[in-house]
Amino acid sequence: MKRSTHRLAGAVAIAAVAALALTACGAGRTDSGATSGSSGSGGKTLLVGTTDKVTAIDPAGSYDNGSFNVETQVFPFLMSFKPGGAELAPDAAKSCEYTSGTVYTCVLRDGLKFANGNPINASTVKFSFDRQVAIADANGPSSLLTNLDSVAAVDAKTVAFTLKSANDQTFAQVLASPAGPIVDEKSFQADKLLDDNAIVAAKAFAGPYTISSYKKNELVVFAKNADYTGLQGAAKNNGVTLKYYASSNNLKLDIAGGQIDVATRSMTPTDIESLKTTKGVSVVTGPGGEIRYVVFNLNTMPGNTPEQKLAVRKAFAYSIDRQEIATQVYKDTYTPLYSYVPKGLPGAATPFKDIYGTKPDVAAATKVLADAGVTTPVALNLQYNPDHYGPSSDQEYNAVKRQLEATGLFAVQLQSTEWVTYTKERTADAYPAYQLGWFPDFSDADNYLTPFFDAGNFLGNHFENPEIIALLASERTDPNPDSRAATIKKIQTEIATKYLSTVPLLQGSQVAVARDGVVGVKDTLNSSFQFRYAVLSKG
Amino acid sequence: MTLRLVPRSPLVRYLLVRLALIVPTVLILVTVVFFFMRVIGDPITASQGGRLSAAQLAVRKAAAGFDRPILQQYGDYLGGLVRGDFGTALTDHRAIREVLVTNGAATLELAAWALLIAFLVGVPLGRLAARYRDRLPDVSIRIFAVLVYAAPVFFVGLLLKLLFSATLGWLPASGRASASVEIALNNVAPKTNIMIIDAILYGDPAYIGDVLQHAILPALALGLLTAGVFIRLIRINLLETMRTDYVIAARARGVSERLVVRQHAFRNALVPVVTVMGMQIAMMLGGAILTETTFEWQGLGYVLSRYLLARDFVAVQGIVTAIAVVVAVSSFLIDVINALVDPRVRY
Repeated sequence: MKRSTHRLAGAVAIAAVAALALTACGAGRTDSGATSGSSGSGGKTLLVGTTDKVTAIDPAGSYDNGSFNVETQVFPFLMSFKPGGAELAPDAAKSCEYTSGTVYTCVLRDGLKFANGNPINASTVKFSFDRQVAIADANGPSSLLTNLDSVAAVDAKTVAFTLKSANDQTFAQVLASPAGPIVDEKSFQADKLLDDNAIVAAKAFAGPYTISSYKKNELVVFAKNADYTGLQGAAKNNGVTLKYYASSNNLKLDIAGGQIDVATRSMTPTDIESLKTTKGVSVVTGPGGEIRYVVFNLNTMPGNTPEQKLAVRKAFAYSIDRQEIATQVYKDTYTPLYSYVPKGLPGAATPFKDIYGTKPDVAAATKVLADAGVTTPVALNLQYNPDHYGPSSDQEYNAVKRQLEATGLFAVQLQSTEWVTYTKERTADAYPAYQLGWFPDFSDADNYLTPFFDAGNFLGNHFENPEIIALLASERTDPNPDSRAATIKKIQTEIATKYLSTVPLLQGSQVAVARDGVVGVKDTLNSSFQFRYAVLSKG
Repeated sequence: MTLRLVPRSPLVRYLLVRLALIVPTVLILVTVVFFFMRVIGDPITASQGGRLSAAQLAVRKAAAGFDRPILQQYGDYLGGLVRGDFGTALTDHRAIREVLVTNGAATLELAAWALLIAFLVGVPLGRLAARYRDRLPDVSIRIFAVLVYAAPVFFVGLLLKLLFSATLGWLPASGRASASVEIALNNVAPKTNIMIIDAILYGDPAYIGDVLQHAILPALALGLLTAGVFIRLIRINLLETMRTDYVIAARARGVSERLVVRQHAFRNALVPVVTVMGMQIAMMLGGAILTETTFEWQGLGYVLSRYLLARDFVAVQGIVTAIAVVVAVSSFLIDVINALVDPRVRY
């Protein structure tokens, strides 16, 4: 017994020493192996880190950034954004245009096929869109196709989309959105989602990349698709490995330590601030599609009459210093938002800057309240959510409260509620004024207007105005880009002047951090809001 | 002739009672989690609440079957469990059985590493503290034990990460292996999902080293917690055993102090550690949630926290049920060992 115990102890000791020795060996070999492996093959493969998560890579089962990021790399789209910009252009299609008021027709390019050899033709496209509508998954993007009446394969290469309302100027954008990926008719079922691993096994890909190894929300290996001849062109790297993180802090440590080449979505403002001074990395920013804003419930907000309520909203707009919040709370990873449509999109304007200024104007706020007969200080219950729009919401709304109370015109009661309860209560008239954020479905100004101000808008804050509804209908169907942009600007000015049912606060920037030697990051941080791996390369 | 339903053997009777208690224990937990998760919300509202109207949300929830009577949903869920069907996660469409197998293996691996650390640190230090009772080594070790036991596991994890990874750069901050190693091990066959075994099967020493390197900090963070318990337990038991008659008799026979401790006292002092280990498994699984999140160790705790945030009740129920079963079965096995080792337990 004694001898066996000693033998066991000896074995454990030897194993421990061996383990330490192996660890010591491995410390140099595999760490560098990991780095060079990720950037191996002549230093042309890249390792990208993200905190995004994938719901499903089946386009009918996901409607989130993490899933769409993977889908944009591997699936073909009829329309897409030109590399390095946000200009929409045909991709798998040779051309797309309205052939009548309600019919949008696309003609496919020649020789399109999936990585498994299956062809991409008009039937495939019809299958993909019919499938989105038929499945209508709770997590899916089928709501983007509400204006789609039917799809027809006119011939092998021509597909016709019949729309419910004519001249929908956002439909081309929808084709490049999460509702737009074309999937393999022979691999996917018409009425059922396909499991991620089955999609990978079927090699049902035809984007700039295919997926060669897949561990959901852990590690995805994108291999360059030699057959891809679409709008994005051949990938400038030999492949990308995408590593998923739960914590932005670990993402930051790994990009700072060189374990990954690029870090994107999302890091805290403090982490980004710290990385700006870290050797060996550069922080790259681009215009972001995310906006943060305050919603007023027109029924329950302070004020006895509609005029008084409007005066309170105007006084609110006069009292806010957006730049201070952007700098102090978000370290300039957000920028002030003075309109409903963010900078970078056609039709963006700055009505809130023009009307209410960039700094708090106490005199103007006092006058507007006095003119409407509002007693001050106005007691305002302001709600925010601490667990959905990032950890800095608390600081952001404390800053708003501080700024409002500094005018002496408001007495703000700040309250926070967890997300699920928050979403129920905000539409049940429980909050007079509250925080919301928005990330666009597609890169078009209308996506920042119609969902918020049209009849039956998702806010449910009792704002409906016939003049605005008519203007929205007009811009949605106006084929002339110039007059459409003018209408979009008019809508924003009208709302900012007369209604202010919401008050925009901040616009998020897209931020990515790249190791020295990585190029191309700037080319994909644009108003397309799509992070394209194909433009990245490493020397 | 009468049918004997109650076993005559006290040991068998004791074990049968303990075994029978597993079912209600798990059922109660499953029920509590089921209804609790329904109270805190659903995944559709969690993901789409900021962009859909109340009416649109209601339509999607109805389509997903969330508006069915709660008792009907509960019955369906229990029926699925009986058939061994844990369902499919609502938020990422993963089969819960697959989650339990792949992520459960990661948690098992972490727990094993942590237990190894707990033994390697706890047993020698506990023994040393008893030997130098009330002297400097004893006092230092006791303070150390209290510190590692009292410090929150995520705090210890963050400290370790900041020191050994961010500052010194000796060890990786997160993950179970480097990306290239993980890709290679993903294709190893047969795949156990226990990274160290997969690395050994792959046969590259550098890969084994890489996996070990990644395991050190999470294992330390979680293992030190249990080591604190072991130190205190072994010290106190060793001191008590040293006062027993047979140890005094051994000393009287002229047996050296070292031999008395090693041969007579220490082995007996280890017996209560077995009992405590049963309780430590539950504690360790709790600690694993924080450790796994801190170190991106993709185990059950890691995915559980993600599913909880997304209000994915199917996934949370499945994982919590599995954890409950593991804890209940572990406790039962500890009871079995205790009953076999110590006859007083079964009477």
